[in-house]
Formats: sequence, C-alpha cells, structure tokens
Amino acid sequence: MNYGETSSGPFIRRFSSQAGFLLLLFLVAALPLAHPGPNVVRLVFITLVWIAASVGWNILGGFAGQVSFGFAVFFGVGAYATAISLNAGLGRASSLLLAACVAAAASVLISLPTFRLRGPYFAIATIGVSEATRVVMTNLQFTGGASGYRITEHGAFNQLLHYYVALAVAAIAVAVSILVRRSKLGLALIAIREDEDAASDLGVNPFRSKLLAHAIAAALTGAAGGVYTGYAAFIYPQGVFGFDISVAILLMPIIGGVGTLLGPVIGALVYGFVHEELMASFPQFHLLLYGALLILIILFEPGGVMGMFDKAVRFVRARSSGGSHP
Amino acid sequence: MSAADVANLFVSALLLAGVYAAMSVGMTIIYGVMKIVNLAHAGFLMLGAYFVFELYTRFSIDPLLGVLLGFPVFFLIGMGIHWLMIRRIPRSDQPTLASLLLLFGLWLVLQNLGYLIWGSSDRAILTPRTLSTFQFGPIVVPAVRLVVFGVAVASLAALEFVLRRTWFGRAVRALMQNSDAGRLAGVNVERTARVAFGVGIAFAGTAGGLLAMLYPFTPDFGGSFLLRAFVIIVLGGLESFAGVAIGAVILALVETFSILAIPAGYQPAIAFSLLVLALVVLPEGIAGLWNRRQRWT
Amino acid sequence: MAPILKLDRLTKNFAGLTALKDVSFQVEERGIFGLIGPNGAGKTTLLSIIAGSLQPTSGTITFQGRNITGMRSFQAVRAGVARTHQVPKPFGSLSVLENVEIALRFGRSVRSAAHTHDAKQILDRVGIARLYLQRAASLSVGDLKRLELARVLAARPSLLLCDEVCSGLTEEETASILALLCDIRRAGTSILYVEHNLRAIMSVCDHIIVMNYGQKLAEGLPQAMQNDPSVIEAYIGKTASI
Repeated sequence: MNYGETSSGPFIRRFSSQAGFLLLLFLVAALPLAHPGPNVVRLVFITLVWIAASVGWNILGGFAGQVSFGFAVFFGVGAYATAISLNAGLGRASSLLLAACVAAAASVLISLPTFRLRGPYFAIATIGVSEATRVVMTNLQFTGGASGYRITEHGAFNQLLHYYVALAVAAIAVAVSILVRRSKLGLALIAIREDEDAASDLGVNPFRSKLLAHAIAAALTGAAGGVYTGYAAFIYPQGVFGFDISVAILLMPIIGGVGTLLGPVIGALVYGFVHEELMASFPQFHLLLYGALLILIILFEPGGVMGMFDKAVRFVRARSSGGSHP
Repeated sequence: MSAADVANLFVSALLLAGVYAAMSVGMTIIYGVMKIVNLAHAGFLMLGAYFVFELYTRFSIDPLLGVLLGFPVFFLIGMGIHWLMIRRIPRSDQPTLASLLLLFGLWLVLQNLGYLIWGSSDRAILTPRTLSTFQFGPIVVPAVRLVVFGVAVASLAALEFVLRRTWFGRAVRALMQNSDAGRLAGVNVERTARVAFGVGIAFAGTAGGLLAMLYPFTPDFGGSFLLRAFVIIVLGGLESFAGVAIGAVILALVETFSILAIPAGYQPAIAFSLLVLALVVLPEGIAGLWNRRQRWT
Repeated sequence: MAPILKLDRLTKNFAGLTALKDVSFQVEERGIFGLIGPNGAGKTTLLSIIAGSLQPTSGTITFQGRNITGMRSFQAVRAGVARTHQVPKPFGSLSVLENVEIALRFGRSVRSAAHTHDAKQILDRVGIARLYLQRAASLSVGDLKRLELARVLAARPSLLLCDEVCSGLTEEETASILALLCDIRRAGTSILYVEHNLRAIMSVCDHIIVMNYGQKLAEGLPQAMQNDPSVIEAYIGKTASI
C-alpha cells in the first residue's frame, strides 16, 4: 500500500496541506453568507460529519494500519449517547463531549480482545463487534429498540447552528489528526503499521499505542455521530450502527489516500457529494459502485487521490529538472 | 428437558457441524496457500444459494444435483476471479491490506448484484425432502439435514483424498508449509494458487447451496456465515483442516444449545461472543500462536 | 568481571519442533561474545528469546542481576537489551532520520529535546548520515544493515544483540562495522554477536559459543574453538565419508 511521503518530505507538500485546510475552513465557514439554500447547507453539513468520522478512522486505520471494518459502532454509540443526554437536559457541547468519551471508553473495551488479532482477523472481529452491538440495540427496549429513539426538541430548528457545530467538530478532528501525526505517538503508530514487531524491538509498546489511537479515533467518530443526531433528532439502530456506515467511513480515506492528512478529507468530500447524487438517482447501486471503486483503487492506484497527486507532482518535478531524479 | 431432547439437539448440532466445516474449508485452503483472507467468501456462499435456487425453480433440478453441478461452475468462476484480479496484487507471506480491501470490494459487488437481481425478499428451497424425517429410536432427524450432512462430509473426504494423492494436493501442502521451499522444490506457485482459489470458491458455492437447503436466504445471508467461518477457523487453527472440523463442532454445539438459554433476537450475536470469549480465555491459544508468528504488511 | 547476561537452561519448543534445548552460558560485562553454528542451529531463535521477541518454553534469563524472562521486547529495551535483525526491518515509509528517532524517543535514551541532532550524530557514527532524508525503503542492503545498527544504538542498550550485521557486505564494509563494534564496546556496551563470517567473528570476539541442533556444543577462546574437532564436525559434517 502506498501511504504517502514522510513528514520530513518536501516542504511544498506540508505547506500546501496546511494552506489547503485553512482555505477549506474559511470557504466552508463563509458559505452560508452566500445564501445557497437549505439543501446545499444540508449537503455540506453531512460532508462535515463524514470528514470528522473519516479523519478519525484514519488515525487508527491509516497511521497505525489497523483497518477496522466496524467503526459504525462508535458512530452509533456517540449518536445514542448524545440523544439520551440531550433528552436528559444536558447542553449541546456537553452532550458531544460525553458522546466522545463514551465512544472512547467503548473503544478501550473493544481493544482488549481484538488487538490480539492482526490484519484481516482484526478487521473481521471489528465487523462482529459492530454487528453484535447493532443486534443488541435493536432488541433493547430502553432505547426504543428497532423503532428508534427520538430527541424532544426545544425551540425551532436552527440549521445554521448545526452547520457550525459540524464545522467545529470537523476542524477539531483535522487539528487532532495533524497533532497526532506530528507527535511521538504518530511516529510510533507509523512504525507499528510498517512492522509492529520491529517497533516493539525498539521500545515501542504496540498495545498501548494502538489503544490510544483507537480511543482518539473512536472519540472523533463518536462526536461525529453526536453531531448527526443533533440534526436528525431521530435515530434508529440500522441507521447509525449499520454496516454501510462502517463501509462509508472506511471507504473515504481509501479514496482520498489512506494514511495521509488530506486524504480522508478529500475522500469525504468526494463521497459526500457523490453519495447524495447516487442516492437520488440510483438508490440500489451505491454499494455496488463503492465495491467496484474499491476494487479499481486497489488494482490501479492504492494511494487514492493523494497517490495520484503525488505521482503528478513527481512527474512535473522530473520534467522541470531536466528528467533526472535523485 | 428430557434425555431424548438433549440427544436430538446433540445430533442436530453434529449435522450442522458438517455443513459448517464444508463452509469454512474453502477459506482455509485459500488462506493456507495464498495467505489471503477471502472476505468475498460470503458473496460466493450467497451465489451458491441462488444458483441452486434458480436451477430448482426454473428447471426443476433437484437441489442436491444443483449443489453438485455448482462445484465445477464455481471452480471455474474462482479461477477466473484469480486470473482477473487476485494475481495482480502483490504476493506476500502474510495477509496484506491490499488483498483484504480487494476482496471486501468484491464482496460488496457480489452482495449488491444479488440485491439487484433477486431483490431482498426471503427465498427458500422447499422440496418433499424438507418436510420428511427419519427416525432412529428417540432421535428424529429431518431428511434434508441428513442429506446435506452427507454431501458435506463426502466433499470433505474428497478434499482429503485430493490433498493426499494428487499433484495439486502435494503442492498445496508444500505451499502451506513454506512457500519459498515449495517454489524451490518445483511447485508452480501461480498455477497452484489459481487452482487453490478455484477450489476454495467451489467449496464456498457448494456450501452456499447446501445451506440454502436448510435456511431461507436473502443476498446478505453470506455475512453471518462469514463470521461463523471465521470463528471456526480461529477456534480450530488457521491452517489446519482437522482444526476446521473441531471448530465447526464447537460452534455448532454452542449455537444449538444456546437456544435454550438466550432469547431469539440475540441469536446472531452468539458467534461473535464465542469469538471474544475464545480470544479472552485462550490468549495463548491458536490465535495467540498465529499472532506471534505472523506479521501484518 | 561480573556477567551481564546469564542464560540458564533455555528451551524453546514450537509445536513439536525443539528449537532450543537447555542452552546455558554467560556473557561478561564489556565483552564481545560470538555465537556461531551452522544454519538452523537456533542462534537467531536464541537472540529473539533474549530480546523478548519470543518467549521461552522454559529456562531463565538474568540480565544485570534481574530476571528478565518473559519480558516483551519493548520492556527488554527499557531494561537495556536491544537487538538487530538478521534481515533488516526498516520502517519503509519513514525517512532514515525518523527510523532512528523512533529508537531515540522510545528506547532507553536520556530525555532530550535535540532528537534530530542526536539522530544525525548516530547516523554519522554508522556512516549513513548523508542519507538522513531518504525514505528507508529505498536504501541498499548494506545501508539497511547500517540503519539497523544505527537504530539499535539509538536505543542505548547495555547489551547489544547483533544478528549477522556483516552478511552481504564487502570486505571494506565489514571491517568498518567491526571497528564500530569495538568502539561500542569501548564505550561500555556488551555485545553478543551472531555471525556466519567466521573470520570476522574470530577477529573481534573475546569468547566464542558454538551451537548446533538447538544446543550449546562448546565454548571457549576463538583459537580453541577453531581447532575443536566437534566444532569442525558441526560445520563440515563427519569426515568418515571422505
């Protein structure tokens, strides 16, 4: 798999990453001023939620290489935690914080047995966890079971409020991702991804590092679930714990470039916009197309969009420096 | 709960174990030879089910015959998929992220093709066999379960024969031990891999057909069986065929007897709970042994 | 000199195969001890067990008076034992500098803010400082071996376990690596060195341990081991058939 260049790589790339984020942040924040209409705002809102979840997943799946196929469990746990606490009278920010904490706690519980497995076996175990949770929630009468759970609304629906909350959470997610990548933990995670045993042989405690990464990733995804819940005001197990949610969260960083900083964001943008179009025109096709897309990406460009970008940059640089490359 | 009831449940579990073993052995072959975890296995279970279903409903072909016909059909499909996709991804001695995602993508494609073609309503295969039973003293056995078990065991026996007596079997065993040594000893790795993949898919297809004779199905029925196959393989040892049999028996017993204790709605979570229990209670068990030896690329 | 490492009846079974059987010996402090034996003798397995990458079936490992049997490798590193790998295992996506930084920040090093500087110094010592920004995956075999050594040095072990650091290198490269090992010993680190290149081992080691079929065959001074009939037989096989 192509995980992109090192952080001590070309300055131009790091600069363009950060400039890119700030530009994006500014554009998204300013969007409502152009009065684009509630549908566009909703579309961007959903994309922001996906960005938060996808960036979160990438911390565990991209940096550390532990590919989870069951991140819906954190999205769902965050969703229900937020819903319950909002109904209990907790403020919006506190509910989201609680959602993140509950999701992180859940991740610790899940890490204990599943990190004994590696690679595909870990992946399959995570599917099991997520599905088992969905089944339990579908049967749990306390939270409404399969019929779902409703948030009692106080006051009118303020779309812009949710929009900016989503923007804040997505921005926090990206910031956390950058901080982790540049930190000692980030270095450890990449070492673990490349060769877990060699990392251990140099003093890295793999379980502890993976546990931390998992918790951070879960917290961000849980917050994303909470943000979604605040907007939707009604959630049900299949909608927030569904396997298709896990697939989406996993697909986005891969489309954009797994393991990179910008990749999950690009992937979320692509997915967010394409998904809405697909759901409108071809509701039956979307998972089929994602499966085909995944196959094509793996066979032809495992580095995703960022991989293609890197290739293009290297091509341009090689040509402009007269063809020779160090 | 009388002794006869317990005996019946026990027999029922054993019969189920046979099918479960046939269902899991396909994944074991592919993993053993190519170190690839075939996530698309679920998709082929599903296709196997619908294959037998279509043959039965359209051409009135007996499901058993359909299952047998399925073997060569899925074998060819498996070899085709290997040629088309699998051989293009980098090979390794350990499972790779690329193979994982590729096969997952294939699973998505297969499952959703299934929805497109057959829709999401339950289908079932009902033959006169479905309702008749055999009686052995206090034990009552539905005919279909006995027959399905018979076919499953026969296919496993055939596999065992192939592994011991043919060039393919020898090559497979060599590659499962050590792929470099196998290559040096003259084993044609790519050809063996293609045939092994074909065999693995063939078993998935036929097992799907057998399962379809026992349960109603929709395009996503492969998923829960995939999880079960995984549990079986982890319980019994990743690369051992005997282990598959052991794991299948354990899972079948737990599932069958758990009906007594747990409400039906929670049933799907059984396989998963068993897996977690095995991982927590047997940390140095089979999964732990694998954990130490293997690496994730 | 007190022994820094003491192995007592180390045994390792792998599902029916006995890789190591009752291996016992000591490594003196500030010594360079060589471990030789034909392929399959169990040398790498032994190193892996001492380093904590594998767990023994039975037996004990005592390091600086502490029982470190059962420690995982990252714990062993914290205690002061670190190893190189026979086949280099670089972190391919990361730069050479970052590879060393990991060992610096997670190993036993003194907490310092000057990671980059310290890492460059270590790379310089090993001779690959000019490659510090290159992606590790793009290095040649010889440079990868040096990177292995650089990484393990960055973890600042008291006992260094070297696994064939010279195999595949030219005469010149071998000589410089051996000189480096002597430097390391002079600076206070003890070394247990597994090597196939017999000339290299004999020239640099104080003491040789010979293994075959998972057991310790003999040990003693290099000269003595070179002439020991059982050692010669282990390498060449029984001479009766000639």
